[in-house]
Amino acid sequence: MTEKIGVYVCHCGTNIAGTVDVKGVAEWAATRLKHRGVIIGREYKFMCSSLGQELIEKDIKELGLTRVVVAACSPHLHEKTFRTACERAGLNPYLCEMVSIREQVSWVHTDKAAATEKSRAVIAGGVERVIHDEPLEPLMVPIHADTLVVGGGIAGIQAALEIADAGFHVCLVEREPSIGGHMAQFDKTFPTLDCAACILTPKMVQVGSHPNITLMTWSEVEKVDGFVGNFTATIRKKARYVNTDTCTGCGICWEKCPKKVEDTVFEVGMGKRKAIYTPFAQAVPRYPVLDVENCTYFKNGKCKACQLFCPTEPNSINFDQVDEMVEVKAGNIILATGFDLFDATRIPQYGYGKLPNVFTNLEFERMCNAAGPTEGRVVLRDMKTPPKSVAIVHCVGSRDENYNKYCSTICCMQSLKFAHLVMERTGAEVYNCYIDIRAAFKDYEEFYKRVLEEGGHFIRGKVAEISDVARTPEEQGKLVVQVEDTLIGKQRRIPVDMVILSAGLEPRADAKEVGKLFGISCGASGWYTEKHPKLDPVATMTEGIFIAGCVQGPKDIPASVAQGAAAAARVLGKIQQGEIALEPIKASITESQCSGCRICNGLCPFNAILFHEDRMVSEINAALCQGCGTCVAACPAGAISGTGFSNDQIMAQIEGLMLLDVGPEPVAA
Amino acid sequence: MSGELSFRDEVTNMMYASHGNPISDCLQCGTCSGTCPAAEFMDHSPRMLIGMIGADLKDEVLGSNTFWSCASCYHCSVRCPAGIDIAGLMYALKRYSIWKDRHQAGLIGPAFSESFVKMIVGSGRSYEPALAPTYLFKYGPRGLIEEAQTATNLVLKGRMPLLPTRIKGLKAFQNIVRRIIPIGEPS
Amino acid sequence: MKNYAYYPGCSLESMAKGYNVSSVEVAGALGLELQEIKDWNCCGATAYFPVDELLAHTLVSRNLALAEKQGASDFVAPCSACYKNAYFTNAYLREDRDLAEHVNYALEADHLHVNGNLHVRHLIEVFLEDVGLEVIGKHVQRPLKGLKVAPYYGCQLLRPRKDHEDTEAPRFFEDLLSAIGAEPVPYASKTRCCGGSLIVTNRKAALDMVRILLEDAVAHQADVIATVCPMCNVNLEVYQSQVNHEFGTEFAVPVMYFTQLMGVAFGLRPDRLGIGQEMVSGAPLLAFAET
Repeated sequence: MTEKIGVYVCHCGTNIAGTVDVKGVAEWAATRLKHRGVIIGREYKFMCSSLGQELIEKDIKELGLTRVVVAACSPHLHEKTFRTACERAGLNPYLCEMVSIREQVSWVHTDKAAATEKSRAVIAGGVERVIHDEPLEPLMVPIHADTLVVGGGIAGIQAALEIADAGFHVCLVEREPSIGGHMAQFDKTFPTLDCAACILTPKMVQVGSHPNITLMTWSEVEKVDGFVGNFTATIRKKARYVNTDTCTGCGICWEKCPKKVEDTVFEVGMGKRKAIYTPFAQAVPRYPVLDVENCTYFKNGKCKACQLFCPTEPNSINFDQVDEMVEVKAGNIILATGFDLFDATRIPQYGYGKLPNVFTNLEFERMCNAAGPTEGRVVLRDMKTPPKSVAIVHCVGSRDENYNKYCSTICCMQSLKFAHLVMERTGAEVYNCYIDIRAAFKDYEEFYKRVLEEGGHFIRGKVAEISDVARTPEEQGKLVVQVEDTLIGKQRRIPVDMVILSAGLEPRADAKEVGKLFGISCGASGWYTEKHPKLDPVATMTEGIFIAGCVQGPKDIPASVAQGAAAAARVLGKIQQGEIALEPIKASITESQCSGCRICNGLCPFNAILFHEDRMVSEINAALCQGCGTCVAACPAGAISGTGFSNDQIMAQIEGLMLLDVGPEPVAA
Repeated sequence: MSGELSFRDEVTNMMYASHGNPISDCLQCGTCSGTCPAAEFMDHSPRMLIGMIGADLKDEVLGSNTFWSCASCYHCSVRCPAGIDIAGLMYALKRYSIWKDRHQAGLIGPAFSESFVKMIVGSGRSYEPALAPTYLFKYGPRGLIEEAQTATNLVLKGRMPLLPTRIKGLKAFQNIVRRIIPIGEPS
Repeated sequence: MKNYAYYPGCSLESMAKGYNVSSVEVAGALGLELQEIKDWNCCGATAYFPVDELLAHTLVSRNLALAEKQGASDFVAPCSACYKNAYFTNAYLREDRDLAEHVNYALEADHLHVNGNLHVRHLIEVFLEDVGLEVIGKHVQRPLKGLKVAPYYGCQLLRPRKDHEDTEAPRFFEDLLSAIGAEPVPYASKTRCCGGSLIVTNRKAALDMVRILLEDAVAHQADVIATVCPMCNVNLEVYQSQVNHEFGTEFAVPVMYFTQLMGVAFGLRPDRLGIGQEMVSGAPLLAFAET
């Protein structure tokens, strides 16, 4: 029986119609592929619009279509749209094929004749394939109501709180001993000059005490199995050497610990901590962590002061504690693992690491912080002398072909904030050396104006070099910032006491590996790829995995919070639905043809194939199978077939692409 | 005057073979000019010159001493955040300037470079004294005396040849040159 | 044993004879055979590119072709400007088919052809990479102990970027000086331009650039400034007296080639290293030589 096929060609405005002769192609399908079953060929400006979809629905009802082919954009975007339209009209959605003549034709070719020819071939392929399509029913799978949030910075905290407040359980995993992320290191936040800790710690405390949040700090996700609605994450809870059931966080152990260690993480090398420590006073949770590499007991068996002085009964220090592997089940995962700072030593001409009074932005944040290494005093590296003049260098490692091409978004505002803080605390002369001032959001421009009025000097020029070589008496003993003041067109050498480098933001050093763990990809600059840059910034191409905060790209705190909340809303939506329809595109093994060679078993990336020893045959678990097709291709006996991707369907599509069965030109009457 | 190229387009064309990004990528950040060791001796900084090219200020650019004060140290090019080969641009402007015979009055560079090439075409090797006429008389009396002193010292130390050298395969060498630019009989 | 084609360049035959002599001596002492290219022509330094780009590449290519003809694998230049020109022309010939075609069309007039497959090296690179600091150290008979040397890298050895990673704060010259027992002096201007040909075309600018370098080296107690390029050497040394006249300074710091320092450290005779032709006495270095 010949199917009744409807072919619909979309103009997509001028996106497709500008390059492909859509009218001609639709006519061609209706006439030259008539013998294959095409009974109608239509073209429309925007097939995905309600009017466009109605065209399909009407034809299904009135013409009795049994198959539909839509030639438009990529199936990634609208396959669901058209399948749903078919379903509404009573046609099984899996009898609708979508072929891309935009991403794969009009957007990548400029030769109109060739593009039109290619479109015809692509559509013919779709027609041949759709003939072999079978009606399928989606697999309904329950969504586990728990959520895994990875990363305890402000974005992760926001996401966790939203989901937990809505009544659902969250497991929040954080690599460092405490949540808080980079925001916990800052002093004041722009433009309000709110104290970072004051606005962050209430949220941190909420997280720590929330009945719906299981907080796992000093932990890392090592493995993720499963798929949307049914993830299983294996988490390594690193040994703290502290029993968190009995520890009260009283702090006596770190007070008594005799071993001081340079804190290269939270204090960015500006201060010290003990071998047993919490990273900062308001840490959540309050349980300390023992740094095995620097602990006297672990190095030579002596000391044990922490254990000696621990007041709890039983003692909370446990030197025999080991890492614990924990399995967590979750329906959805939110990645909010933040950023790393650009390494300013990569720009030798700025002298960071060689000239003592050149600081990075993060070092300066710690300096300004009242609980930091200088108790909030702005001083030189000698920890006592306040500077009389400070230069703040914008765009360090950003907007630069030699380092990172992108703009790090927040450093201009951060630099303005620093200018304000320096002037307020020291009365020093401040020079901001910039290329552009990026003050785009609410109250940002007003803050810039404020700093201008407070007397900051603004030199429009990217700093060329910083050195301690004096050429005049005024430069003796100073750091000389050499820059072209482009607004007056002169090269200037500005002697200052201190320089602050606004180093840019970079993806975490292990972002790529972590991404692989969760099955998401990074863009060219290393930030995680969102589903759509304009319309879907928190979802990824992997169902059930969401991203929030700076993992998606540099952004300020309000934007990170918004994304955390957005990701939480998406997750809550999924949880409310209770179950998710899994695409029925799966592989299945024809038992009679299986020889039991087991080649497929090891190849399956989702561990979805089991082997029955008794019958010596393999079987695919439909719930785990993602329809990737690896086993289908690998089976030497051809015993595995993929629904929706059967050998017949693929061979037919190839024959269609080669235009092997096109009817003759209709004879002119 | 349709169809005539703007000065900006002309310069962009000359930079076609450069191994950096086009000058239209310039952010006007000023790194080049902040770095340039000769900037204070230029009437326009390198950055400003690029801005002027973008604004089609042909006369001002050709009348500037900027590119003739470039030492080709390439520090600007390696530091430029936009990836532009600025030192290469300076060479391109030098070529434009010599081609059109338009440059600021009193500059030594143009005559020196042209004479240098003529000298090489004539002998295959460099011989400093042959170039002296291109610059000596622009130094002023004191400069002239100092240069004479320096030259004398070099001769006494055996570091200045009194006679020019020629490569052996000079005729074939000149035939090579003829396939690139039309040259007359060597002078 | 690599086949090194040696390209001295024009300066080494006149103003920088000492560099030529000492390069060959020291290379020989290290067991390297440098085969001078027969009948090489001037590379143009910075003087061809202001006139014609294609001619510039062609004139450089003639030398590359001659080196290829003598079966060399490596093209070695002791002068940074010659090195920079040869390096990039060689690289462009490989990348740009049109350029290679046009250049070879011209070279055909002298039955020459260039393939662009040489390794173009600066002499200091060859010593560091092909010989190595350890072997160099073993040749040291008279370590230059206590001699404070300011390593002057100059521009075109490092820039535009070639094979070296660090164009802003390299350490290889300091490491070489340490290997021969000297004390490299840290100073910020070690990669700042000496003015190059501006010494002729814009003397005022060049003298100021030289002054800044001398000032920085002397402020850091340098006894000697070591160079890797004849133009840098001439600007810093031959014109030192003019700098003094112009600025009222009293510089008298010897500026010598790194090969001369190596040679003295190896115990070779100063007159075999071209020492004795300086404008500023090389006494601090000579103190280490055999009397």
